[in-house]
Amino acid sequence: MSSETPFQINISDEKLSTLRTKLELATFPDELQDAGWKYGSPLVDVKRLTERWRNQYDWRKYEKDINEKLPMFTRDIDVDGFDTLNIHYVHKKSETVDAIPLLFCHGWPGSFWEVTKILPLLTASAPEHPSFHVVALSLPGYGFSEAPRKQGFGLNQYAEVAHKLMIALGYNEYVTQGGDWGCFIIRKMASVYGGRHHKAWHTNMPDQSTDLEIAPVFLVFLITSWSTKEKAGIERTKWFLTKGQGYFAQQSTQPQTLGYGLTDSPVGLLAWIYEKLVLCTDNYNWTDDEVLTWISLYWFSRAGPAASLRIYFELREDCEDMGRDPTIPMGTSYFPKELIILPAAWVRKSNNVVFESHHKSGGHFAATERPEELVQDLRKMFAKGSPAFAIVPGRSGYA
Amino acid sequence: MSETPFQINIPDKKLSILRAKLELATFPDELQDIGWKQGPPLADMKRLVERWKNGYDWRKYEKELNQELPMFTRDIDVDGFGALNVHYVHKKSKTVDAIPLLFCHGWPGSFLEVRVILPLLTAPSPEHPSFHVVALSLPGFGFSEGSHKPGFALDQYAEVIAHKLMIALGYNEYVTQGGDWGFLITRRMAAKYGGKHHKAWHTNFPMADPPNWKSPLSFLSYLVTPFSPEEKAGLERTAWYRNKSSGYFVEQSTFPQTLAYSFTDSPVALLAWFYEKLVIWTDDYKWTDDEALTWISIYWFSRAGPGAAHRIYFEVHGDFYNLGRTSYPTIPMGASYFPKELLLLPSAWLRRLNNVVSESHHTSGGHFAATERPKELVEDVRKMFAKGGPAFGIVPGRSGYA
Repeated sequence: MSSETPFQINISDEKLSTLRTKLELATFPDELQDAGWKYGSPLVDVKRLTERWRNQYDWRKYEKDINEKLPMFTRDIDVDGFDTLNIHYVHKKSETVDAIPLLFCHGWPGSFWEVTKILPLLTASAPEHPSFHVVALSLPGYGFSEAPRKQGFGLNQYAEVAHKLMIALGYNEYVTQGGDWGCFIIRKMASVYGGRHHKAWHTNMPDQSTDLEIAPVFLVFLITSWSTKEKAGIERTKWFLTKGQGYFAQQSTQPQTLGYGLTDSPVGLLAWIYEKLVLCTDNYNWTDDEVLTWISLYWFSRAGPAASLRIYFELREDCEDMGRDPTIPMGTSYFPKELIILPAAWVRKSNNVVFESHHKSGGHFAATERPEELVQDLRKMFAKGSPAFAIVPGRSGYA
Repeated sequence: MSETPFQINIPDKKLSILRAKLELATFPDELQDIGWKQGPPLADMKRLVERWKNGYDWRKYEKELNQELPMFTRDIDVDGFGALNVHYVHKKSKTVDAIPLLFCHGWPGSFLEVRVILPLLTAPSPEHPSFHVVALSLPGFGFSEGSHKPGFALDQYAEVIAHKLMIALGYNEYVTQGGDWGFLITRRMAAKYGGKHHKAWHTNFPMADPPNWKSPLSFLSYLVTPFSPEEKAGLERTAWYRNKSSGYFVEQSTFPQTLAYSFTDSPVALLAWFYEKLVIWTDDYKWTDDEALTWISIYWFSRAGPGAAHRIYFEVHGDFYNLGRTSYPTIPMGASYFPKELLLLPSAWLRRLNNVVSESHHTSGGHFAATERPKELVEDVRKMFAKGGPAFGIVPGRSGYA
């Protein structure tokens, strides 16, 4: 069982040249007239991105940048009933000694890289706001973490890995922040480890229900007067549940079928993920290099892109029965272009919500789109005078 | 706008691009003991890719197809879409008054599916009716041009076949056989052109609505009649399809273009997606590797490219159960039930809403009936149109007999 080892990304030249060779052979479909985004990622975008990826995009430059900005490590984590997994994570301590230990948990198609913009803000020391020691792991099967080799690696296992990592780092008590799968995982952590170890959780995707539970919302929608904001949220949710479920349906039933394509074709992978980066954000101005770095992290991931899909298959049943509601303090941030937006009253009903904020812009990838707002929300949640202040004893976040 | 004979002749350049891509193939890992649970097993995929790259001889199968299937193309003008060049098989029986029959494939099928049933359907005999057979490649599939504009939906597919192709071939009156999209398209044809031109239809993919409270007697009967073991098995198969095997459907009907990039750039992507269906949608059919590879090569080498065909799911959007549900056809219908089809509903539901004159229930076979159970399928079609059969002589002057 290896203890912590410093980690730097160093993709082999061979992998880089395989990528280039495949991109050189890239072949594209046609496109219907005036298709725009209606049918999926537009041809003009995919061609442009492919061309850049092949010729001008400089992976080594961004690899170096990540290595410089994010202090990274790996260590072995033993998972009950499964193998030992070598887990990759970012770990940065604040200069404030008693900073609050915070675990940032990504989802799909996210990664550890999403912590980049919020890391310096969360760790910054100031008398006006709390500071955090930040841990951002790569979930098993993502980034540079190993993937499980056996079936049945479910929500309990993801929660176990994240929890054990915090304990191994000396953070016996900690708080969490997560969206997408990150939200489901930290919610499970709240149920299993809440109180004793896991003291509070924050999410930018407050979602307590499966499709089945959301259906009544539409019925209620017909007879209750919702606010304009809530109506917009319901419309967005409807769009996602009726038009945005393709990837989910495929990944939760036949992930490997899709995985062959995403492993063999960088263009296929690019199109698949790029679609999400655009449709799930609120007019975020992705630069091509930002997109390509995001997707390269999947292309070059330790377990390969197919492994990242399996969470949908394994967690399908877990998510239908999420177990008892967590009781530890919860913080929620609502962004209008999130994918599932439930009326805040519903979330407050089943959770101990101590902090809530509603934003006028921003989407699914909050840490990328609205890093300052997200960090402000966390700072407020744990600020002096707030209900979650000093929830981690001895680590108030202040000097 | 007349008929041109057609031979498949894939350029060498395309063959060498395929080989180059296969040579670069990279594979994912696989969970222990996963079998078919999450997709085709890695061992199968590696074996098929290896064969496709080295050993599979496209030219041999191309030649066979050219020899077995008399093929043609012609321009068909579609209202609002311009002229599309449509590829089809057309084989006449030696029986002069054979019944004109249109065979309509679906996805991930193709004109190739007519291959084994073609000689059986056209065979002359005093014991059974014969058919003149037309099997087109739907626009966007096989060697037919695809639509370049959005909105090419059931009405357009129906128009191409019914109103234009069959008439152009001199078949003013005809019957049809279809499964998968072929069912929905021939159903739309029956609703629009039934009676005057489209005289009868047969399907191996019978879909029907359950009785609802609006028809109280049917609904009551539905509530109190216990399902037979066959029906129970069918409903379980249907539930399996909807819960475990419909992911492709949701993606293809919402973001077909996103998926198209994988299919067009990677033969491995295409192989995995299609091979999965060939295996789990059939009833233990023993695909040879070459058979599977030829099937999938038709998509890889298709005229519109492998990314075009599944746009049909988007264009004919909505819940699969709600598709094509304008009016119910009144022309005589034949239905064949194969136990490993994907949607298997109690046959009473079909009979309630359609003019079902002929029905067969098989104890084996799946979604690709023309490939898996060609003799049985042809028997079913012959039975429907035989002397003494319920649809005998439905096409005036073309009884199917000498």
